[in-house]
Amino acid sequence: MKAIDIIPLFVIIPLAAAFLTSLAGRFIRRSSEVIIFIASLALLGFSVYARFLLNSAPGRILVYKIGGWVPPFGICMVIDGLSVFMLVTVNLIAFFVAVYSLSYMNQYTDKPKFFTLFSLMVCGMNGVIVTGDLFNLFVFLEIASIASYALVAFGTEAEELEASFKYAIMGSVASAFIFIGIAFLYSFTSTLNMADMARILAYKQNVWVIPFVGVLFLMGFGLKSALVPFHAWLPDAHPSAPAPISAMLSGILIKTLGVYSLIRIFFNIIGSTHGYLTILMFLGVASMLVAVVLALSQWDLKRLLAYHSISQIGYVVLGIGLGTPLGVLGGLFHLFNHSVFKSLLFLNSGSVDYAAGTRDLKETGGLGKLMPVTAKTNLIASMAIAGIPPFNGFFSKAIIIIACLEKGFTGYAICAVIGSILTLASFMKVQKFVFLGEIKDKLKNIKEVPFAMLFSVVCLAIICVLGGLMLLPSLRFFLDDAVAVILRGTSYAGVVLEAASK
Amino acid sequence: MKILLEPILVSIVAGLFILVIPKRFRKVIEFFSLITSVYLFVAGIKIFFAAPINIGYFYVDGLSRFIVPAIGLFGMLVTLYSMRSMASYKDISSYYAYILWTIGSSILAAISNNIIVLLISWGFLGFTLYALINISGPKAAAVSKKTFIIIGGSDSLMILGFGMMWLLTKSLNLSDMRIDIAAPTAFWSFLLVAAGAFAKAGAMPFHTWIPETAKEAPISVTAFLPASLDKLLGIYLLARLALNVFILNSFTYAILMVIGSVTILAAVMMALIQHDFKKLLGYHAVSQVGYMVLGIGTGNPIGIAGGLFHMLNHAIYKCCLFLSAGNVEYKTKTSELDNLGGLSKIMPITFLTTLIASAAISGVPPFNGFFSKWMIYQGLIEKGKSGGVLWIICLAAAMFGSGLTLASFIKLIHAIFLGQRADGKENSKKDEVSWQMWLPVSILAILCVIFGIFAYQIPLKFFIKPALGSEVLFTGEWHTLKATLLLFAGLATGLIIYFLGNFKSIRMSDPYIGGEPVGKDMRLSGTEFYNTIKEYGLLGVIYKKAEAGFFDIYEQGKALVFGVGGFFQYLHNGVLPTYLVWTLLGMMGLFLFFLK
Repeated sequence: MKAIDIIPLFVIIPLAAAFLTSLAGRFIRRSSEVIIFIASLALLGFSVYARFLLNSAPGRILVYKIGGWVPPFGICMVIDGLSVFMLVTVNLIAFFVAVYSLSYMNQYTDKPKFFTLFSLMVCGMNGVIVTGDLFNLFVFLEIASIASYALVAFGTEAEELEASFKYAIMGSVASAFIFIGIAFLYSFTSTLNMADMARILAYKQNVWVIPFVGVLFLMGFGLKSALVPFHAWLPDAHPSAPAPISAMLSGILIKTLGVYSLIRIFFNIIGSTHGYLTILMFLGVASMLVAVVLALSQWDLKRLLAYHSISQIGYVVLGIGLGTPLGVLGGLFHLFNHSVFKSLLFLNSGSVDYAAGTRDLKETGGLGKLMPVTAKTNLIASMAIAGIPPFNGFFSKAIIIIACLEKGFTGYAICAVIGSILTLASFMKVQKFVFLGEIKDKLKNIKEVPFAMLFSVVCLAIICVLGGLMLLPSLRFFLDDAVAVILRGTSYAGVVLEAASK
Repeated sequence: MKILLEPILVSIVAGLFILVIPKRFRKVIEFFSLITSVYLFVAGIKIFFAAPINIGYFYVDGLSRFIVPAIGLFGMLVTLYSMRSMASYKDISSYYAYILWTIGSSILAAISNNIIVLLISWGFLGFTLYALINISGPKAAAVSKKTFIIIGGSDSLMILGFGMMWLLTKSLNLSDMRIDIAAPTAFWSFLLVAAGAFAKAGAMPFHTWIPETAKEAPISVTAFLPASLDKLLGIYLLARLALNVFILNSFTYAILMVIGSVTILAAVMMALIQHDFKKLLGYHAVSQVGYMVLGIGTGNPIGIAGGLFHMLNHAIYKCCLFLSAGNVEYKTKTSELDNLGGLSKIMPITFLTTLIASAAISGVPPFNGFFSKWMIYQGLIEKGKSGGVLWIICLAAAMFGSGLTLASFIKLIHAIFLGQRADGKENSKKDEVSWQMWLPVSILAILCVIFGIFAYQIPLKFFIKPALGSEVLFTGEWHTLKATLLLFAGLATGLIIYFLGNFKSIRMSDPYIGGEPVGKDMRLSGTEFYNTIKEYGLLGVIYKKAEAGFFDIYEQGKALVFGVGGFFQYLHNGVLPTYLVWTLLGMMGLFLFFLK
């Protein structure tokens, strides 16, 4: 087996895990837990291994041809700096969420089913990241989306079903538009391979197809990544899901299906023109401000966090939309950081829900004394999302603000600062009403959550504290390679096709 | 390099180590923290005597050099004080860890030259402040929230300001920057970074967190951060900007002077009417910042020297006042002036230190506060030589503010130490606090005296003049030693007259009104002093508004954000078709943009 053969494993492992958990879980007690643990650990290990594999690869790219067919005739899987960056992010979070779920999901009846859907979602996300084929991307996107519709409704209460219904409708609308966009592109270029498509688009001029498809993709992927005004499904869907799934949705799903696909298509296939960048930045700033103002007035802990996901995605998109090396670096770094601290925050909200049985800010209070580990990790995550040094969020936010100034968008920089202040304010509210303040009488006897849940949150908190170190010159390659892929733009086509022809 | 990094690393590691020690070894934690803080103080002194250092990330010159041992001194005294004052708190290990980290990152902030390093240490200080306020328990939650929103928010403004400075100079090192403020970007970058400095130091309009923090936080924390370290760092940064980084123009100086004057007056007016001594001291901690900003705003050497000297003096006497107040609270378990009185015989050391520090803050010669205020006045007069009327108004505000400060400290001293006891007991047995608590305040009180009497010989010579780097020319004459001798001669003469006179023939009796002895309900506690001020027409209106939070940038911001948020919430009605309509409208907008 050659080293390059690990690439399909990113899809095969979770797909196999999905079948095995539902099969074995029926007959052998606790087998689904063992399978999911091994599978997610293996995925994390393979993605880190892929990262180091890439360091020695020529051109820092690995292309796997399915069935040995050379693109554009066959489907290929591509791992470059950006994909591996996303892979590590996704599988890191997925691993900790899986470990957390081992204990958390005891509240629900059908654990194997949950893990099946969970694995399918991971499979979809990994597929979106590694695929080099546009239609394939759509298929994986739908796998992940449909799994997530089901997971949002997993509690099967009225509220959850309603949220899931809304999410499914809006998600399907987005998928439909994405699909139409892909169809237009296919009829225009006669290929579905992303690299080949980029090659053809580079010399084929047309006045209306590209902007038209661009709008469809902006709307479709914008909805998947919950940019204002396409965000309305998220504040309902994310709080309704079980906490580990909220962490997955906010932490990585919207970034993989939304932001990553946006970047891949607009920077590497269509080519980032001034117009797209302007719109991306504008949508980013709008999301950042509108959502944070809404978050401030929420009293449901998970709903508040959900609004912050929209707001933080705004930072990511703003940074990437700047299109400068510094801006893209800040955007990607914020993407990683946000995955870590937002999943940590959602897992903590799950712990609060698990221990106290409520997530209404008006009913909690003083839990810091009773749940010290949860309180401390939540404090760290709150500081990170609010951009307080020395936690990881500070660095990425500062880079984005400075990048805005550098390119002359002083107004956007000011908006980013205002957003940051309001984020801080709203997490101060969380701290005050959940972990500080007086303990309510009926919550006097609650206990800290079990070990598996603590393990995950503590590990994520450690990443939040040490995350800033990723900017050190010796560790920068992880981010720099991803930035290089984005800045390389449509010359991505040449690199992939050359690597594939070997 | 090693001399600079060592104390910082030691503080981080020591803090982590304390967190690892099991909580039941309380004595070990306390002792270990004390040792570390002494080490940090010694390290600070070493940095003070080291040769000037300029190596990229770090920069030690006259200005940053004297801040470092001062940070170490306050850290050490507060740690010593906490050994007793924090005795009733359970979560002692995180308290000491945060204190040590605060000392370490304050030193880092003072010596850092790189703006990123400065931002990190600066922001981390806000975080430790937040955590330290929360040590005092559930009732501090609201205050810590407000404090950290203001502090952390202004840190974000600093990122913006520093970013602009980086764009203007293409350098991350403060020592390489020399920015002319004439350009609008330069002006805004100065204001944004200054906002961070103002919020930390507590100048208007970012001051509102200080009085409330003073009321709720453990008093050692108030004495440590808002009263001393935050002032040192905030004014240090302002001075650094004004002296080395920016070339300010007369308009910017005028802004600083106005901010200084308004801060002095508004805060001291609020201090006059307080009932809680911690809150009263908190308002004075704001008011005194006004003098420092005013001094730096004069822009001439004597004024800036006065501002810096006042910063140092303020840290000393305000730390002393807060810790003395802590002694009173420790013994009496109350901070309400109404419930206190007549403690002068019971707590003589605390009485004496409070008296000295009160005299110092009110600008009574020969104490240190007088000297630095006098330098600031001279700076203002010096400024007046170049014309304009602003300096007269500022000078009047500063002097008037000084008078009101004295007035409010008369109230404080009377209400706590003089007058009758609130519980009506006659017992006046000495009941002083233990040495861990009276030693720090005594050291600080002695420093107040020494810095006043030997102002030329010690603080100006070693700290202030090297900081400024230029000669300070005094226009007025003030011979501290002679004046002190004269003052003491006057006092001695008075005493001689008193003893020589027929004081033995004085008849002492209980006070009475209308032939009846004064009962407990007739007690004059001092709380009511100056209450009539609230009834004067316009002043009354302003006081009412101020107490309702009308002038509070935090409350106003909150109202605005919730107003906007309410509108957005109205739009999110949870109906699926509405959401789909937005999506389609958004898409149509995009089509219009791309296909026009």
